[in-house]
Amino acid sequence: MPRGARTDTRADTAVAAVCVTLALVLLILPDAPRDRVAGIVRGNLVGPLAALQQRASLARRSFVSNDSVVRAADSLVLQAQRAEALVAENSQLRRQLSLGRALRWGFIPAEALVGRGLGDEHTLVLSAGARAGVERLSAVVTADGIVGMISAVDAGTSVAITWPHPDFRVSATSADGSAFGIVSAHPGVGAERYLLELRGVPFRARLLPGTPIVSSGLGGVFPRGVLIGTVLEELEGVSTWARTFVLRPAVRPADVTQVMVLLAERNAEGVESVWAPAVQAMLQRVIAGGDSLARVDSVAKGDTVRGRDSSVTPDSTRPPAGRRP
Amino acid sequence: MISARSVTIVAMFAVLVTLQFTLRPILGWRAGIDFLVIALLILAVRVRPGTAAIAGFAMGLISDAMSPEALGAGALALTIVGFAASRLKSAFFAENIGVNAIFIIVGKCAADAIFLLAEQRLGGGALLSQLLLWTPLAALVTAAVGVMVLVLVRPTLERRRQ
Repeated sequence: MPRGARTDTRADTAVAAVCVTLALVLLILPDAPRDRVAGIVRGNLVGPLAALQQRASLARRSFVSNDSVVRAADSLVLQAQRAEALVAENSQLRRQLSLGRALRWGFIPAEALVGRGLGDEHTLVLSAGARAGVERLSAVVTADGIVGMISAVDAGTSVAITWPHPDFRVSATSADGSAFGIVSAHPGVGAERYLLELRGVPFRARLLPGTPIVSSGLGGVFPRGVLIGTVLEELEGVSTWARTFVLRPAVRPADVTQVMVLLAERNAEGVESVWAPAVQAMLQRVIAGGDSLARVDSVAKGDTVRGRDSSVTPDSTRPPAGRRP
Repeated sequence: MISARSVTIVAMFAVLVTLQFTLRPILGWRAGIDFLVIALLILAVRVRPGTAAIAGFAMGLISDAMSPEALGAGALALTIVGFAASRLKSAFFAENIGVNAIFIIVGKCAADAIFLLAEQRLGGGALLSQLLLWTPLAALVTAAVGVMVLVLVRPTLERRRQ
């Protein structure tokens, strides 16, 4: 080996020996100076790398925890959805209980076995049948109002057609008895399929939006006073001899889980008092709405009068709010 | 004047060191890729043994600074591995990929063994399982990545050499 190369080799070995010695010294240093040296190295040489490593660790932690966070969020959403359904069902059951208390007798509680398949849109299978006393053409109601009527009865179950069914008809009247007509499903498309129509209303009858419509008791299937729906608007140009109104149904069949089947004896006794509070509350809202419109109108006209003669007040020239002339 | 080949090696070295502190913590494997060993071995065969020893010492010191309880252990391990690799440079970067892979496996195993024995943190069964199971696995993974790196950079380095 040439002398130069040998010298280089010795120098390399010496450098390596120094490095090894330094490493060994660092290894045997007491805690305090070792931490000081590590701090100096971290502060001056490793700072950016340490920051990189910290960010990488955070990225890994968030990456690893992502699945569990998503799982937890999904579970919460699922629970929230279930809770919402439970609250709705609970509320419906409470209303059914209150309906049972109000009816007292002459009804059969039944569960709607919801299939929601094709063809199930207009019918409900009920968990009560002939054994429980259900008869064909019995009224099916909930605390909110009319659902439909029994069309077929088996021993343990029965089938009810709901109001969207094309064959469904019920004789109806406004809550104050001023208008009569026949309610059936509204033959619309899309969302309008789920509305009702009140047909054959005499021209002299006046129905404001929001007016409650109840069964009239004619026909023998539905007793008088069961809430059917509320007036939405008048349909123009349907008939030349009578008026037709679109109704918002009181009951959405899709939400029905518990129903009451009314027996014929109970129908004969009358059930008006059961839905009367709800109907009266609706009527009050309609009257209050009409009054506030009249008040706005009177104030507007009063301003005009005041403009002509400031000594005349609107109150002295118009009937008090709420009283019809 | 700094040659383009040197710039390439330095850039590759910097990338590998950066990966050690970014990709490795993200992967979080028990038998992780040791980018420092790959970087040191690639550098060591291109410099004098003394320079390789200094580079190994510096890299080990940086690595140790992250875990001060074993300060010096990594420096000792990488100093020895760097110096030895530089001495055996004729074997490394041979045409045979398998030889290169074995070289990295041996280098990684040696570095881990020296580190574990120097820091004296593990003992008994834990030390044995680390040395006989996890270190060989980490060495295999490191060798696989090291070979990929060599395959990627070799054409560039050889073109520069011509």
